[in-house]
Amino acid sequence: MQELQERSPSDFLGEAIGRRVLVKLNSGVEYRGILSCLDGYMNIALEQTEEWVNGQLKNKYGDAFIRGNNEVEIQKGDAITITAMKERLESTLFW
Amino acid sequence: MSDEQVPPTVESNDVEEPFDLVRLSLDERIYVKLRGDRELRGKLHAYDSHLNMVLGDVEETITVVEMDEETYEEAVRTVKRQMEMLFVRGDGIILVSPPSRTGDE
Repeated sequence: MQELQERSPSDFLGEAIGRRVLVKLNSGVEYRGILSCLDGYMNIALEQTEEWVNGQLKNKYGDAFIRGNNEVEIQKGDAITITAMKERLESTLFW
Repeated sequence: MSDEQVPPTVESNDVEEPFDLVRLSLDERIYVKLRGDRELRGKLHAYDSHLNMVLGDVEETITVVEMDEETYEEAVRTVKRQMEMLFVRGDGIILVSPPSRTGDE
């Protein structure tokens, strides 16, 4: 659809602020929590974060800062809208 | 003139960008998850934009998974060590968790 084409990756991420997200790292570890904010390096701040490894809950953090170079994708809620983040925001603009 | 006006604060307590979480944790004990199944707990003395950090009174926990060559049983072992002062290069960091900001800190 036309509308979809006009949304940029940062629009998607901006809309996800304040919502439940799933952040997957390249190690396979997943973080589920509420997205507080993110920056141009795709460093991410999450609230009420749960750490899931192999489908098991391993840890909980009130707040968590996730360093931007580790993420593979972010899913908003349960709707699977995949972003194949590799290194930095600059490179993600070429998807 | 309203007395309600809040003076501009140099250090805001709001989290507007991810690094605010780290900034608000200065001089607090934090949890750091590193690559290679390593974890640190220590007091954050300083950091920069690469997330390089200086931590004080640090406890490092290393998780080692060992496989018994005969029974193929996996045993998880943790090794701990203490350091007075530690410089951490930012690129090894996966996650930083500050002390809980809930309540009226």
